[in-house]
Amino acid sequence: MKNLIRITAAIIITIIIYTTLAKISIYAVQIINLFSLAVIYFALEKGEIFGACFGAFCGIIYDSFSLGAFGVAGIAKTITGFLAGYVSKKIDVTPFIRSFIFIFILISLELIVWVFLYSYIFLASFNTGKGIIFLQPLGTAFLGSLIFLLIRKVKGVTSKYKK
Amino acid sequence: MPSFLKKNKNIKVLIGLIFLQLILISIQVPKDKKETYFEKLIFSVFSPVQHGVVYLFQKTGSFWKSYFGLKGVRKENERLKEEMFFLLQENNVIRNLLQKYKSENEINDALRNIQENILHARVIGFDASNFYKSVVINKGFLDDIQKNMPVLDRYGNLVGRIVGPISLKESRIQLVTDNNCGISVFSEKKEVVGMLTGDGKGMCLLEYILSTDEDFFKGERVYTSGFDGIFPPGISVGEIVSLETTSGLFKKIIVKPYFKFQDLDNLAVIKIKNLNIF
Repeated sequence: MKNLIRITAAIIITIIIYTTLAKISIYAVQIINLFSLAVIYFALEKGEIFGACFGAFCGIIYDSFSLGAFGVAGIAKTITGFLAGYVSKKIDVTPFIRSFIFIFILISLELIVWVFLYSYIFLASFNTGKGIIFLQPLGTAFLGSLIFLLIRKVKGVTSKYKK
Repeated sequence: MPSFLKKNKNIKVLIGLIFLQLILISIQVPKDKKETYFEKLIFSVFSPVQHGVVYLFQKTGSFWKSYFGLKGVRKENERLKEEMFFLLQENNVIRNLLQKYKSENEINDALRNIQENILHARVIGFDASNFYKSVVINKGFLDDIQKNMPVLDRYGNLVGRIVGPISLKESRIQLVTDNNCGISVFSEKKEVVGMLTGDGKGMCLLEYILSTDEDFFKGERVYTSGFDGIFPPGISVGEIVSLETTSGLFKKIIVKPYFKFQDLDNLAVIKIKNLNIF
């Protein structure tokens, strides 16, 4: 039950931040892939199966915000969630630099899968938003590693306080 | 079953999830089909969250303007007064011209008809995959929104049309810049009809114009013709910015739409099929 509340809260917060960013600048949502950040965070915490399932669900929500077909972002985010959970079991990705590189690689991979599926299914040229979308791995990795670091710090402080 | 699958349950789950989503995609493609209940359900569940965020934004914005942003109000008021003065003059000139052909009652009825059938809407969400494809507005089924209603920007230029899904208070607009959009248009000078579609990158393409056709010019305005049965005739769409004669059968004509993406906040949904008011 606690997990369900956390996930629902995470999804709602993600949508709120996503809409707020889009309202500020449409390019901001191209630079920062918030839904994937949520997927990676939960995959790191709960493992690859949970990451894959949560990725599929987040992908469907992401697709509901577009005129495209449901499942395109879902597949890309499912793979991201699975890989995030799987790799984090083998390698410690908590330090800032490692976390940055880890998210950068995952988002790059997700972008490749998504662009491939999008172009293949819709037979349409892909809008790069004047090349801004290629900054997505960099922007998301920087923000993600910063958020994860902050969450760890806050958790550390609260656990000390409890003791 | 391959041995690696027997050993690793996690891989099976991953493959299963991907397979399920591939089935989901295959059900929906091609996209010109009617939207599924699943699509409607997801849209109805999550678009109100976007609606709520934008509502909060507007409220915070108006609070800011009401209490802290009074500095510019006087200036803006003066500007609006001036604008209204010219609009009233323009309105009177048009009314007087119309009175040559129609009675005052007929004119009033027609203008009332227009006012009643234009719905003001605000953009609450952009397309996640490509923002030149669609936007979501804060009007839906409860506001009598129906599929294929044309949508104009604040200056009366064509923005797109309502497509599904339509939820209670939200609906999606397919923009003219979407590559799946098709509009019958005509050129200003020689009134040659063509088919306009988006390029998915912010511009439109005027298609199926023969390379031998010399009736199109750079800088020429393009209007809806009404032949598609969706958009009423005479709505301004854009301007020809590039004309290229290719080695193929057709010309490559690029049209820049008049609506500005950055200015897409207030929109007008036209609830009547026919804009010929008399």
